[in-house]
Amino acid sequence: MAVVKVDKLARSVVEGPSLMTGSIPTKPWMEIPVKFKPGNYAYTTKPDILKYLDSQQGVSFPNAREWNPEDDDWKLPENWKEIIINGLADRLDRFRSLKIFMDCCVRCGACADKCHFFLGTGDPKNMPVLRAELLRSVYRNDFTLAGKLLGKMAGAREMTVGVLKEWFMYAYQCTECRRCSVFCPYGIDTAEITMMLRELLHLVGCGINWAMEPVANSNRTGNHMGLTPQAFKGNIDFLCEDIENLTGVKVNPTFNRKGAEILFITPSADVFAEPGLFTCMGYLLLFEAIGLDYTWSTYASEGGNFGLFTSNEMMKKLNGKMYAEAKRLGVKWILGGECGHMWRVVHQYMNTMNGPADFLEVPRSPITGTVFENAKATKMVHISEFTADLIKNGKITLDKSRNSHVKATWHDSCNTARAMGLLEEPRYILDHVVDQWWEMPENTIREKTFCCGSGTALNTDEIMELRMRAGLPRANAVRYVHEKHGVNHLGCVCAIDRATLTTLMNYWVPEVTVCGLSELVGNALVIEGEQRQELDEGLRTLV
Amino acid sequence: MNLIETLKSKRKQILSTWVDRTLDSYVSSGFFKRSRDKFANPVGVNIREGLSSLFDLLLSKAPREEYLAPLDQVIRIRAVQEFTPAQAVAPILELKWVVRQVLSADKNTRHLLSELDSFDCDIDRAALAAFDMYTACREQLYENRIRELKSGSYILTDSGCPSSLARRGIQDKPPVH
Ligand code: SF4
Ligand code: SF4
Repeated sequence: MAVVKVDKLARSVVEGPSLMTGSIPTKPWMEIPVKFKPGNYAYTTKPDILKYLDSQQGVSFPNAREWNPEDDDWKLPENWKEIIINGLADRLDRFRSLKIFMDCCVRCGACADKCHFFLGTGDPKNMPVLRAELLRSVYRNDFTLAGKLLGKMAGAREMTVGVLKEWFMYAYQCTECRRCSVFCPYGIDTAEITMMLRELLHLVGCGINWAMEPVANSNRTGNHMGLTPQAFKGNIDFLCEDIENLTGVKVNPTFNRKGAEILFITPSADVFAEPGLFTCMGYLLLFEAIGLDYTWSTYASEGGNFGLFTSNEMMKKLNGKMYAEAKRLGVKWILGGECGHMWRVVHQYMNTMNGPADFLEVPRSPITGTVFENAKATKMVHISEFTADLIKNGKITLDKSRNSHVKATWHDSCNTARAMGLLEEPRYILDHVVDQWWEMPENTIREKTFCCGSGTALNTDEIMELRMRAGLPRANAVRYVHEKHGVNHLGCVCAIDRATLTTLMNYWVPEVTVCGLSELVGNALVIEGEQRQELDEGLRTLV
Repeated sequence: MNLIETLKSKRKQILSTWVDRTLDSYVSSGFFKRSRDKFANPVGVNIREGLSSLFDLLLSKAPREEYLAPLDQVIRIRAVQEFTPAQAVAPILELKWVVRQVLSADKNTRHLLSELDSFDCDIDRAALAAFDMYTACREQLYENRIRELKSGSYILTDSGCPSSLARRGIQDKPPVH
């Protein structure tokens, strides 16, 4: 029976005495209970955050309470099992993909060794096929005839508290990066299975604070950090002062300006935290250089959408905010900054959730006249598409020597690479802004890129070790190009990446600095009338 | 053949046992042992490379500085996995056990077992260096945690900005349902 194969995948045998006790499996995977200890789980949602969210329209987050994964008693609602099984039934009904993914895996194992969590831990339950099996086993038990008749023999098992704990452990050891799906002959997307696991867990009040607090903040003030409109604008004003000091160029961005041609939305991390700030300076300079008619919004002040890591309804609501703001301001289309998962939401879910955005126009660059047919449905263009088009049409002047301190390599962020196919534009831009850059090995880039290890709201400090081991495959490839070519900069187009790769590099390859692509563009940009100082480190130079 | 020459001649056997045993400390180790692609299998290949170089350096009586790099290749990984400190550095000490197994399995080399003292000492030195390294890695982890905490979100979400005050207001109210 096929299920036996899964066991085989997970088994490893050792004989003889060893100093290394305690990590050799003696039981099949289903019988090894999970053990929560400091460092292997993210903190649970604060009850007040959950209560606030539950009080909001269009979403439901019941069963707020204090609880600790390390305790035996998770203080689950009395009828928790019924809630979960009904929740699963409801989702099988609503999402055809879930039903297909539950039924069509042949357990070929092609995905097993492709997940960075498995590669960093050697834990069989981090093999995508087993991660899915955590849910599939319950599905079989309650929703298939074979499971009902044959039980364990058909790979079915009853939903128990132990299983629920397993779900919580492994739904939060998956960054929904979708690398596994690239290798699956059936295109099974384990990320979507993880999304379902997380949704089901939310039904019984089990979630993590690092996801829910940003979600609550975004719902309230428009961005992850809970920045007020004043603070948001204030931060950008500071950046404008810095730009003037460095380059002599005065930039005057506008906010919430009705009638602007374009609305610009980027992750709030670009506005408040290093190293995103330098990327943000890059955008500001670029828009100034081409005289773009655009506005920021202090309400749609977040490109990120942690709803994607939470629930369908939450994702829809946060995404809807961007389009509502575009409508309110009466812009023609939306230009989006360097974010990862914002683009996944926009490309894969927006149109069915909140579309069609027919009050907007098909994006057309006012500088080059290029019409972005690819964004016909979403009306949203990626900053790299926009910049590459400017370069192609000779609309900006770039001086590579201003990046002479940079020996770059390129990290394809999971979401932009796998969910929207943004592979060539960043490379084209890199060719024009730095003298030389090097690719990492073939099986670690483009569609096969390795995740930073901290996506989907796992970028919290209490699980630092988990993040470091999950990020090892990425870091390992960076180390290779660092040693071989002297690479000292790792470029990317994702705000989470910029923050988490910085920490990852600190641990694994401290010689490498992480930067945004628009930062490198900003460094190289030649602007009329500028009075640029000697900037040895580009926009990062302290003057 | 003296001890060092014998160990050199049995290099392949020793390394294969040593690497396998080290990789057996992972719950599911089949792939780690099998795949030789460094980028597809970073744990398996780095540990294999690190232990192999370490073995050669121990045989050539290299100074401490030289075996720091291969040790780092092994320990930096194990320092962030779910091992106790002892389990993380144990593979280095296990070389003693492996060498004894291999020498005693061959009647022509059994007599060398009594000459292992000095080689054992070298292994001990490497293990102590590994322990230093493990501690340094752990410290780096905590430093990184602190750096993240200081650099961003907490300052903005937990200090007295208006939105966090608003949140506190919500907290004080009775639960809304
Ligand atoms: S590759 Fe696809 S079909 Fe094969 S085991 Fe993985 S999920 Fe199942
Ligand atoms: S989506 Fe990514 S993290 Fe999740 S199982 Fe697949 S490879 Fe692993």
